[in-house]
Amino acid sequence: MNVSVGDVVLPGDSCQEIATIGEKSKVILGPGLRKEVNGIFITKAGTLRKRAPNTFWVDNYQKRYIPSRGENVIGIVTQKAGDIFRVDVGGSCSASLSYLSFEGATKKNRPKVVIGDVVYAKMLVASKDMEPEIVCVDSHGKKGRLGVLEDGFVFKCSLNLIRKILNPECPLLNSLKNEWPFELAAGMNGRIWIKANTMRETIALGNAILASEYHSNDEIKSMCSNIASILAGHIS
Amino acid sequence: MVSENTDLKDFKLRPMKCECNYLSKSDGSAILSQGHTVSLVSVNGPLDVKMQSQSIEKATLEVLFSSKGGKPTVGDRYKEHVIRQTCETAILGSLYPRTGITVTIQELEDQGGFLACCINCSCLALLNAGLAMRHTFAAVSCAIDESGNIQLDPARDQLDTARANMTFVFDSREKSLVTGFTEGSYSEDAYSEAVERCRAASHLVFAFYKEIVSKYSNVIG
Repeated sequence: MNVSVGDVVLPGDSCQEIATIGEKSKVILGPGLRKEVNGIFITKAGTLRKRAPNTFWVDNYQKRYIPSRGENVIGIVTQKAGDIFRVDVGGSCSASLSYLSFEGATKKNRPKVVIGDVVYAKMLVASKDMEPEIVCVDSHGKKGRLGVLEDGFVFKCSLNLIRKILNPECPLLNSLKNEWPFELAAGMNGRIWIKANTMRETIALGNAILASEYHSNDEIKSMCSNIASILAGHIS
Repeated sequence: MVSENTDLKDFKLRPMKCECNYLSKSDGSAILSQGHTVSLVSVNGPLDVKMQSQSIEKATLEVLFSSKGGKPTVGDRYKEHVIRQTCETAILGSLYPRTGITVTIQELEDQGGFLACCINCSCLALLNAGLAMRHTFAAVSCAIDESGNIQLDPARDQLDTARANMTFVFDSREKSLVTGFTEGSYSEDAYSEAVERCRAASHLVFAFYKEIVSKYSNVIG
C-alpha cells in the first residue's frame, strides 16, 4: 500500500513520495524506513514523519533500546575488566566504557567508579556488528553533564516517553521545574534518573513522568499543578 | 491501547478484539480474541543469547508455545515450528545479528481457529515491540464441511463436523501465501478455492492491524 507523510504506516507499506524526492535530491531515511531495489519500504508500525528539507522517519512505539551513535544514555556498571568497565545500557549486549574517557583521567589518576554505579554517557560507537562503546567526556575532553550520577532514583519507561519529555514543546518539565527543585537525567535508552530533596517529591516526580505518557499537553499541565497542590498540602 | 472491531461480523470473520502492551515487563505484547478464541503473546528482544545459538548474520528467533495444560505435546512443537517459520519470513533479522528474539505464546481459550489467532497475535506483538519487519502477516482459517462448503473462520462446533480445516497466512505486500497448514482430506479445487477465499478475507485482518496501530499512535504521538 502506498503511504504519504503523516499517515499511520505498517511494515510492508511503500512510500512513493520519498522515492520521487530521492530521484532529485538527497534524502535521509531515519528509523523504520528501508531502501530496497523497487522503492522505499516501511519496517515499523507508527506514524510517518518528515522534517525539512528531506529527513523521514517512523515514530513507533518501542521499549527495547537499539544503540545508536551520539545518543545520551543511562547505564549501570556491571563489571570491571582491566582498563574498561562493562555497562548495561539495556541493549542486546553491554557497552564498554574506558576508564580514560572521564574528565581529567590519566593512567595514574583513575576515576572513582565502582560496580553498581549509574553513569550518564554518550554513545561513541554503535553498530549492529560491534559492541557499543560509551564515553563520559565530549570531544573537548570536558565532562559537561556526563559522568557518574550520585544518589537519586532510576526507573525505566518506553523510548517514546523519553522522546516526548525531551521534546521542547512538551510542557511537563517546564511546569514541574517551577513547582519544586529537582535534578533529572533522561537517557535515550528508556531510563530516567531523578533526584529531589525528599522521598515524597521524588515519588511525585516519577509518577508525573510516567503518567504523562498517554496525556496531551493540556492534560499534562493540569496534572502538574494538581500534583504540586497535593504535594504542598493544600489537598490531602 | 484497547480496540474492538464489530463490523467484521458482516464479512463472516468472527469479531476481533485486541489489547497491545498487555504485559508491562516484556518488550512487546498483545492479547487477541477472535470470537471466543483467545491467545496472549509476549515478544522479547533483540537480546543476548548463548554462543551456540548465535548466528553471525541474523537474529535467532525462538518461539515458545505454552498450552493451557502446561505440558508441551508433539502437536504444540509442530505449531511452534510453523509460527517460527512464519515470523522468520517477516522479521528483518539481518538488522540484529548475533542476538535472539523470543516469542512466547500462551493459550488462553481455544474455540476453533487457534493457530490463526496465535499467528495474528504474534504479528501484533511484533509490531508493538517495534522490531523491523519486511511485511506484516495475517492468518485466516477455514473449514470444509461434508457437503464441500467452505466456511471461513469456523468456531469449535463447525470444526467438529468439518471434513478438513485449513489455515493460511498471507503477507501484506503482495498478499502472497506465506504459510499453509491443513488437516483432513479435500480436493485440489477445494484447496485453491479456500486459498482465494482466505486471501480475500485477509484484508480485513490487515485493516484491523491498521486500526489498532492508528489508535495507539494517535495517543502517544
